[in-house]
Amino acid sequence: MSLAIAARIARRELRGGLKGFRVFLACLALGIGAIAAVGSVRESIQGGLEREGAVILGGDAALELTYRFAEPYERAWIDARAEAVSEIVDFRSLAVFGAGETAERGLTQVKGVDGAYPLYGAPELEPAIALEDALRTTDGTPGAVMDPVLIARLGLGVGDLFRLGEQDFRLTAALVREPDAAGSGFALGPRTMVRTEALANSGLIQPGTLFETQYKLRLAEGVDLDTLRDATEDEIVGARWRDRRNGAPGVAEFVDRLGSFLVLVGLAGLAVGGVGVSSAVRAYLAEKTEVIATLKTLGAENRTIFLSYFMQIGALTLVGVTLGLALGALVPVVFAPLIEARLPVPAEITLYPGALAEAGIYGLLAALIFTIWPLARTEDVRAATLFRDSGGTGQGWPRGRWVTLTLVLFGLLVALAAQFSGLVSLTVWSAIGLAASFVVLVGAAWTVRLLARRAARARFLRGKSAVRLALGSVGGPGGEASSVVLSLGLGLTVLAAVGQIDANLRGAIERDLPDIAPSFFMVDIQPGQLEAFRSGLEANPAVTTVQSAPMLRGIITQINGAPATDVAGDHWVLQGDRGVTYSASAPDDAVVTHGEWWPAEYAGPPQVSFATEEALEMGLKLGDDITVNILGRDITAEITSLREVDFSTAGIGFIMSMNPSALQSAPHSHIATVYADVAAEGAILRSVSNTYPNITAIRVKDAIERVSAVLAGIAAAITYGALATLITGGIVLIGAAAAGVRARTYEAAILKTLGASRHTILTSFALRSALLGIAAGGVAIVAGGLAGWAVMTFVMGTDYVFEPISAVLIVCGGVIATLLAGLAFGWGPLAARPAHILRARE
Amino acid sequence: MTETILSLKDATLSLDGNAGRVDILRGITLDIARGETVGLVGPSGSGKSSLLMLMGGLERATTGSVNALGHDLTALGEDALARLRRDHMGVVFQSFHLIPTMTALENVATPLELAGAKDAFDRAEAELDAVGLRARMNHYPAQMSGGEQQRVALARAAAPRPDILLADEPTGNLDGATGQAIMDLLFGLRDRHGSTLVLVTHAPELAARCDRVIRLQDGALSAEDHAEAAE
Repeated sequence: MSLAIAARIARRELRGGLKGFRVFLACLALGIGAIAAVGSVRESIQGGLEREGAVILGGDAALELTYRFAEPYERAWIDARAEAVSEIVDFRSLAVFGAGETAERGLTQVKGVDGAYPLYGAPELEPAIALEDALRTTDGTPGAVMDPVLIARLGLGVGDLFRLGEQDFRLTAALVREPDAAGSGFALGPRTMVRTEALANSGLIQPGTLFETQYKLRLAEGVDLDTLRDATEDEIVGARWRDRRNGAPGVAEFVDRLGSFLVLVGLAGLAVGGVGVSSAVRAYLAEKTEVIATLKTLGAENRTIFLSYFMQIGALTLVGVTLGLALGALVPVVFAPLIEARLPVPAEITLYPGALAEAGIYGLLAALIFTIWPLARTEDVRAATLFRDSGGTGQGWPRGRWVTLTLVLFGLLVALAAQFSGLVSLTVWSAIGLAASFVVLVGAAWTVRLLARRAARARFLRGKSAVRLALGSVGGPGGEASSVVLSLGLGLTVLAAVGQIDANLRGAIERDLPDIAPSFFMVDIQPGQLEAFRSGLEANPAVTTVQSAPMLRGIITQINGAPATDVAGDHWVLQGDRGVTYSASAPDDAVVTHGEWWPAEYAGPPQVSFATEEALEMGLKLGDDITVNILGRDITAEITSLREVDFSTAGIGFIMSMNPSALQSAPHSHIATVYADVAAEGAILRSVSNTYPNITAIRVKDAIERVSAVLAGIAAAITYGALATLITGGIVLIGAAAAGVRARTYEAAILKTLGASRHTILTSFALRSALLGIAAGGVAIVAGGLAGWAVMTFVMGTDYVFEPISAVLIVCGGVIATLLAGLAFGWGPLAARPAHILRARE
Repeated sequence: MTETILSLKDATLSLDGNAGRVDILRGITLDIARGETVGLVGPSGSGKSSLLMLMGGLERATTGSVNALGHDLTALGEDALARLRRDHMGVVFQSFHLIPTMTALENVATPLELAGAKDAFDRAEAELDAVGLRARMNHYPAQMSGGEQQRVALARAAAPRPDILLADEPTGNLDGATGQAIMDLLFGLRDRHGSTLVLVTHAPELAARCDRVIRLQDGALSAEDHAEAAE
């Protein structure tokens, strides 16, 4: 019965239209829209990766071997199982243009391909010639194509000759798009593509040099990928398998993680919007106090009234959710060309019901969480309100059941977010952080009001009417302090946290690392070159230190005879191949924490010294046997010592070091780090590459720049997400300022009557805005700093340094935003004639 | 010869509303002497409150002149009008119009502060004491009854010792007994400070307490008598 009556009352009340609910709808729509858009783009990329899996991978399946080609019997085995096979060799080198002092050098990731490449898709060349023609050997010089970035860096033109190792190549075209680039993973240098056979005389592919081979397979319809994978891994030891179902696992995982993280940032935006939603409902119900009191006088029960307003807010919520979903669905579609152009992977941008449903559920739950409390206050409105103003709908806590319901809904939202994002720990910590920020901000708003109230009565402020008016307004009843501090504070907190994390990460990589990192990594130093290479560099007064070590790469396949992943799960050491070295004695700076290094002349069964931290994480201990596959051969060694390895200095650090007799006979090269004066780096690079064309020198500064560029892209994406949160905060702020116009107009009219000049009134408006902005910004710095510290300490595992510049910018931003909103909505009240305003209230 | 403190010459007030231009006041010519108490009476909508607003510079005459304390109010800017009110006028409204975010004490001290009074709070306390609200000094308007709020409004209007007190139906929202008490206070304040009092009222017994009664009908003066004659 009460449901039907409630519905009728709700329908009549809604005749008034949506006026006064613009902020409510904007907050909800923007929050949901942002989440839906991020979710849709994430699904679009995943859809694109799935659809284009074979093109991205370059085949239906791919096998990867570390610095060896497949043996003839292995190749025969592969050929027998595929319709077509393409063999690719991939390694780093230096591309050199010109000669002598003026020669230009650039690090490049070389890809040697055969005639079958590409099995799927096609490269895009400029000028648009066929790849076969581009790579053809003409007049004894093989052709090559190159990434336009590297062409520009070297100052090359089409037709020019350049060198890789000891082999000249002619640049025939720019490689604008490589079909299987996304499947290749992160590269330190731009791409150069040549025919593999043209590398034969380059001196770059020798036993022991660092290269990888890939065998891309085109399979017949109906081949069972899982069966073939198992058979391949049994047949070809050390081969890493990938197939079209997940052509670029790194990219897919990265997109998934980043997308999920951005959804979490979007949820923070929804929380900010929730403050606006809550304020709008509160303001609406405050206006309806007399209606509620009248209904109670007429005999309506609490339940009927609650239901009636719940239905009204529910109907408006549905409008907001629908608008948000439409926004989130349309934005990626409308901006599809722009998004696709900026993505390194294909995206299939269309409507994704799953992403929209996720955003819709978040929106409904958030709306419920933020409207339950104001709605519950309708219970506290007494019929007597009609006869005597009882001070609105109360400010205390609602009844216990509403608090419980709110907590249950919050728990449900967090659980769903954890389920959808798959980032359980991050979601839970974000939720705790958000809830803590909320509590801190509510406390801050309360404290600001209390302090303002106290300060307004302070003797030293007597006579300073503009200041006291501002303080009185901030501290007095019915002010906008709570909603402004909450919404702006929360938005700024998210931005501050992102700012602190970004600044710390950049600081660690750009500022701290170059001070301790070497100038160069030199790789592929042949054993016969090592002595001359070292002595040449050590004779150079600009070089402070040269460190070198033998370098092999291997995959840990077994621990104590069991598959390694069964023992140590998916620890990063087991993902892909790792560097392995050997040493007769412990290096000078090695700190052996457990066990003892083998004797200098030891020639018995293989022994290995393992990195302490990683060993403990993987559950390894002294006496355990680990089996490492190196060049297709299994070597089982006993762990006889653990030692500390510091990877943070970018120096030489190996997880595993074996006794020399275990590895010495395997073909291998050496790696070196060179510490030198910055000014001498160019000369060192020229000298080494002229003397040893096969040695690849990687300038650490360049590598850091490349990593920084990737990080900057990630930081930009997160900053955009945080900005969406701040825009929502801005809308709430504008909503609060707009809602306060009536009160400010009234106040200005009274003050003018009492003799206040417009200057005094405007100063007072500006001061109160600045006070609230400072409070919101101040809390944001503390809360954002704490969040930054927590992420750097617990997630990144690095030191945290408070970054003052972004913090100060954030406080200034907060103050300016509130000032602008306050002043923008302050002109109207100032211009109004006091007589009109005051008489309208008679 | 008695000094004229308020003088209106052929003052009119027209406002643009949704239904077109409305003439609120028509050709008002009127002089009020310093220390005089004047009652403005007339039916609802006759323009009493609008005339009071013109006198206080809260409304600007469309034509004609309004002169207060030697200043032509039609020629003064918003801020100059505000300063004139600050230094010489007190206004009391039917709906009190206290600043909701300020306590009673702060409300009363505000005009004194605006005038730069060093002892604003001490004087505000004394003024609240005079209207019997010492115990309610730190209460917000929403925490007080209508009668108490109007007493605060009276104290606020009287605190700067204004030359002119303008009161717009100050008892209109109050019950009889409370209204009577407020009027006693208002006349008491007027007597204490020697202010000129212009009072808009519907109540004949209040008008009877004034030196002179001015009657308005459809925005124009209909008659002018001494209070004794109104009885």
